[in-house]
Amino acid sequence: MFHWLEKNPFFFSVGVFVVIAFAGLVEIVPSFAEAARPIVGLKPYSVLELAGKEVYKKDHCIACHSQLIRPFKAETDRYGQYSVSGEYAYDRPFLWGSKRTGPDLHRIGNYRTTDWHENHMWEPEELVAGSIMPAYKHHFTNIADIETAYAEAVTVKEVFNTPYGDEIKAGEEAWNAYKPQVLEEAKAIAVDMKHPEVHEALKKGEVPEIVALIAYLNRLK
Amino acid sequence: MNSMVIKALGVSGLLIVATLAMVLSMDIDLNDPINAMTILGAIVIATATFGVTSKYISQMKTDKAEGELTDENWDGIGEYKNELPSGWAYTFLGTLIYTVWYFLIGFPLNAYSQIGEYNEEVKAYHKKFEEVHKTSDIQTLQSMGQSIFLVQCAPCHGNTGDGLNGKAHDFSKRMSKEQVLHVINNGQNQLGYPMGEMPAGMAMGADAEAIAVYVAGGMKGEQPAAYGVCAGCHGADGQGMGGMAPSIAMYDEVLVGHVLEHGKKGVIGKMPSFKTRMTPIQEKALTVYIQSLTM
Repeated sequence: MFHWLEKNPFFFSVGVFVVIAFAGLVEIVPSFAEAARPIVGLKPYSVLELAGKEVYKKDHCIACHSQLIRPFKAETDRYGQYSVSGEYAYDRPFLWGSKRTGPDLHRIGNYRTTDWHENHMWEPEELVAGSIMPAYKHHFTNIADIETAYAEAVTVKEVFNTPYGDEIKAGEEAWNAYKPQVLEEAKAIAVDMKHPEVHEALKKGEVPEIVALIAYLNRLK
Repeated sequence: MNSMVIKALGVSGLLIVATLAMVLSMDIDLNDPINAMTILGAIVIATATFGVTSKYISQMKTDKAEGELTDENWDGIGEYKNELPSGWAYTFLGTLIYTVWYFLIGFPLNAYSQIGEYNEEVKAYHKKFEEVHKTSDIQTLQSMGQSIFLVQCAPCHGNTGDGLNGKAHDFSKRMSKEQVLHVINNGQNQLGYPMGEMPAGMAMGADAEAIAVYVAGGMKGEQPAAYGVCAGCHGADGQGMGGMAPSIAMYDEVLVGHVLEHGKKGVIGKMPSFKTRMTPIQEKALTVYIQSLTM
């Protein structure tokens, strides 16, 4: 057999590749497959949370905030349990970030609440002395695009098999039937909010960006 | 010994002499063992290099190829059937054994784990922390409490604990009148005290107002008659009967601990639970610091 291999350099190369690649296969592939699985109890983002994630992306929060807590004591003391890859299973795209001008936000939902976010987004320096974060007052008047967020949910459900319920499906009819749920979720968040324009918009059946964003931030745990 | 080897040894001898001449001209102390060993090393290297090189060059010039050929030949170039060089063969065998060991034992059992290192670091730190602060005095606890407060609490309660103009609870006093009234009107059952739920509407109208003024005023002066209904659980002094109900007179350790564990939603807003974010010593330190804010 070895003589045969020596006479056939192509198959010899293939053999060498297989032997060398084997070590990589047994060490990398199993942990890769394991890590890509969602952690137990992880739920996909609700439509409102997806709309908030779009706001997060649109205003480029990732430029100053990361969403990845590394396993170092200094980091877990401040931000909580270190991140594991299965937590990002439904993040498309994930928003790890690599720049921390502001703090990490991966578990912000554990230690900040709706009313804090409302005050902070309106005027960050009133809460955190010396903060250089800009105010995001336009979030209170801009309307979040929950319809596109719904379309995103439908897409990831169909393309990636993200486990959404049966009520999330393509078509305008399905969206009109689902929309009240999104508004209910938004109203539940707005109960803790003080700005009148938020409540006015919700009465009209619109969701201000700030509500969607807070829903998303509260979800980060 | 052929002429080649002699020439080589001659060159190395020349090198040695040149080295020695150089060393002597530099006035180096050869009695120093390190210097002596360096010189000795230089001599050995020069001799060995030229000796070995000349041996192989002369062997290439004189040796004849001989032995049994293998069956293959490539355009007339053949290969002898040689024994494996023993050094190479043992190394190869050793590699095979090591591979099997590494595959079955070495990698699975001894692999580096970042999380493992993190766990050990945290464990070691906590052990040291517990030991160092077993008997910390009040000043140490207070300054530790201040650090914790600035990191964990200040974003909502403000750097001085004043609640940032009503955006969070104000630590300069126990409760405001508005907060007391809110609790009386809505009841309270969030903190997990043994006494359990405080029902809404324990006092009404002017009575509630009188209680609120009295409690918000730091429980000083004459106690209003209506306070009797509070005293049943919170005690006549408002201290909470030794941890059975929340103290409404001061921030004791039980109160801080319960609020940190359960979080609380009051008239101002909602505070999340900080359950996993502090050790008992840190909670104690935080209590000491918060108490220092009301004084």
